[in-house]
Amino acid sequence: MTSIDKKKMIAVYSWKESVALILLFNISFNASDRLSGLQVCSLCGGKVPNGTAAGRFCSQSAGRIDGRCCLRNDSTSDPERIIGLDLSNCSLTRVENLQDASEALMIDLSLNPIVNISDDVFQGFFDLKCLILPKDIVCPGGNSSWQKVEIQKGNRLCEGQKNMCNQTGQMSLNCPENSLCAPYGPGFYECSCAENYHGYKCLREGTFPVLQVFGPLALSAVVITFLLWVTQRRKAKSL
Amino acid sequence: MPPSCCGYLSQFTHHHLVVFLLTFFSYVLLHASRKTFSNVKVSISAQWTPSVQNDSAPPFSPGETWQDNRLFADEEEATLFLGALDSIFLFSYAVGLYLSGVIGDRVNLRYVLCFGLCGSAVVEFLFGTLTEWLHIYNIYLYCGLWVLNGLLQSAVWPCVVAVMGNWFGKAGRGFVFGLWSACASVGNILGAFLASSVLKYGYEYAFLVTSVVQFAGGVVVFFGLLTSPKEVGLRESETGLGPVETDSDSHRPLMSDEEEEEEEEEVEVHAKPCQSVQQPDESQRAISFFQAFCLPGVLPYSLAYACLKLVNYSFFFWLPFYLSNNYGWKEAEADRLSVWYDVGGIIGGTVQGLISDFMGKRAPVLAFSLAMAMGALVGYSRSPNDQVINAVILAATGFFIGGPSNMISSAISADLGRQDALRGSQEALATVTGIVDGTGSIGAAAGQYLVSLIESKLGWMSVFYFFIAMTGGSILFITPLLWRELQAMWRDRRALRRQL
Repeated sequence: MTSIDKKKMIAVYSWKESVALILLFNISFNASDRLSGLQVCSLCGGKVPNGTAAGRFCSQSAGRIDGRCCLRNDSTSDPERIIGLDLSNCSLTRVENLQDASEALMIDLSLNPIVNISDDVFQGFFDLKCLILPKDIVCPGGNSSWQKVEIQKGNRLCEGQKNMCNQTGQMSLNCPENSLCAPYGPGFYECSCAENYHGYKCLREGTFPVLQVFGPLALSAVVITFLLWVTQRRKAKSL
Repeated sequence: MPPSCCGYLSQFTHHHLVVFLLTFFSYVLLHASRKTFSNVKVSISAQWTPSVQNDSAPPFSPGETWQDNRLFADEEEATLFLGALDSIFLFSYAVGLYLSGVIGDRVNLRYVLCFGLCGSAVVEFLFGTLTEWLHIYNIYLYCGLWVLNGLLQSAVWPCVVAVMGNWFGKAGRGFVFGLWSACASVGNILGAFLASSVLKYGYEYAFLVTSVVQFAGGVVVFFGLLTSPKEVGLRESETGLGPVETDSDSHRPLMSDEEEEEEEEEVEVHAKPCQSVQQPDESQRAISFFQAFCLPGVLPYSLAYACLKLVNYSFFFWLPFYLSNNYGWKEAEADRLSVWYDVGGIIGGTVQGLISDFMGKRAPVLAFSLAMAMGALVGYSRSPNDQVINAVILAATGFFIGGPSNMISSAISADLGRQDALRGSQEALATVTGIVDGTGSIGAAAGQYLVSLIESKLGWMSVFYFFIAMTGGSILFITPLLWRELQAMWRDRRALRRQL
């Protein structure tokens, strides 16, 4: 029986940690990137079967199958990303970390004895268009977060994410001042800073005009210093 | 005989004007950066706390934009910490005042002043800008830096008062110092303007701009300030109150080497009768801290100023809060209204200084003004819910409280530091100013705590009774001086009548 035992990874890095991480990635010749991609793809053995929904999807979108994943790169310069993930019939009881597949368009988790999936697992999966779950599991974010929810061949099919920002629903979706709402996975929304605003809580507007402020300031300081020295201190005697 | 207008002005050279402006703007820049801190408090507490969502709604995403800064759980805690920083600052400022005055009299005043200005500019840069750029949020770091800032800022006031005291004689001191002590209020206005104009780029830029301007001010002072008329061969301000002599040199537009020599000769002639009493070696020796404390008038004025600065700073810190709390006026309205207290203080300091110059005595003016202040406080505590009437009574209260307060901290401190008892050792000015203002700052720091305590336990009316009692206390402390000065006036008048 396999299960995802990896610690729940939250994209909560402080500035310093993310810098350190970026450095680490650069040093370790891109292997860690590839390795972590493989981890989710090898959660259970075998490859994406041809006949399943994921297999069909992968061949339609001209992806490359690697273990349980379907990978594709949009252009040759981009790194490959997971566009499809087929973890059907993997005997998973818990699903905790799928962050590596956050850009996936489709995920199949059917035929697993999963008891419950937290909504947070799919936070940030805003590309996800099709999610196949065991029948007893509700679609993440509830039915209201999906355009179509249906039971098909004993599986629950969640299709077409709804944009939470345009929805007038039970949740108050007003983002704070200076920020705009954007979809962020099923049932989630993200408040990203509006144009011109940036920084923590989007409190900062525009960029500080360093030259316009400090240029005249430095110039006038130098001029005043010189004038005063000439008129005042030039002939001063030390006491 | 009161000095005539022309004689009054003609004693001043362009050096006097530059010294006036340089010391004035030194303190303006210092107070501007203090005001910046209080004006960006809202932004800082936003930066230190995660954003709050009402009820059960999930927190905003992404976390790094809305949730990750958790120095404090909510803005209320952050506000408490910012209040604590104010108290820490006031206490270290008070301690620093005692020290820096003593240092200022021993080291070159210009060096101490520049060190204070530039050092506190650097600390403010570290506090507000660098910690934000590096995302280091740590309360111990903030406390440590603010203690350091209080100590460094305290170097400025005794030095600027000492420099002013060197240049402006006792005769015109009340008026000149009254005008000059508007620097704190001007600094508040400048700080509010600077902070509001760059705050949109982030609070760290408000700190950056004010600290850079302050640093530049320190550099200008270093190259431009003459700490004493002696540095350019002019006569130092006279200690006693006497008829103002007309200086011939002020009529000459420019200085040449020839003239300087002339001036030096002139000075020697002038100085001789004064210096015949003292030994030249002794004149440069600085006074010790305890000697300064024991100088006549220093202790009574220090204690009186402690009571008065408590009331004055309580108005400064609590007035907008009281106005919006008690009358339900908006914060912006309350802020605007509280400016009238400052306006009253500026006018009060200048007018009362002028009157005391003409009388030749300061204590009677002070005592009268403080007695009026008690009445004004009673009136203000019963002010009706009308902004115009409130502003008028507020300006009057500022006139009678802020005026004496400005006068003690500047003109009287300068009098005390250059009094006749000091003939032997001249360098007491900064030490005395430090003692007076330091004692006052301890009073102010204690007041911050006491006002909030009294307000929460007994209500605003009791706070006003506390203010009235404190004002009465400051009258009590200057009573011995008042008695002595009135006796002297009485004696002079009798002597004058006998002469006639």
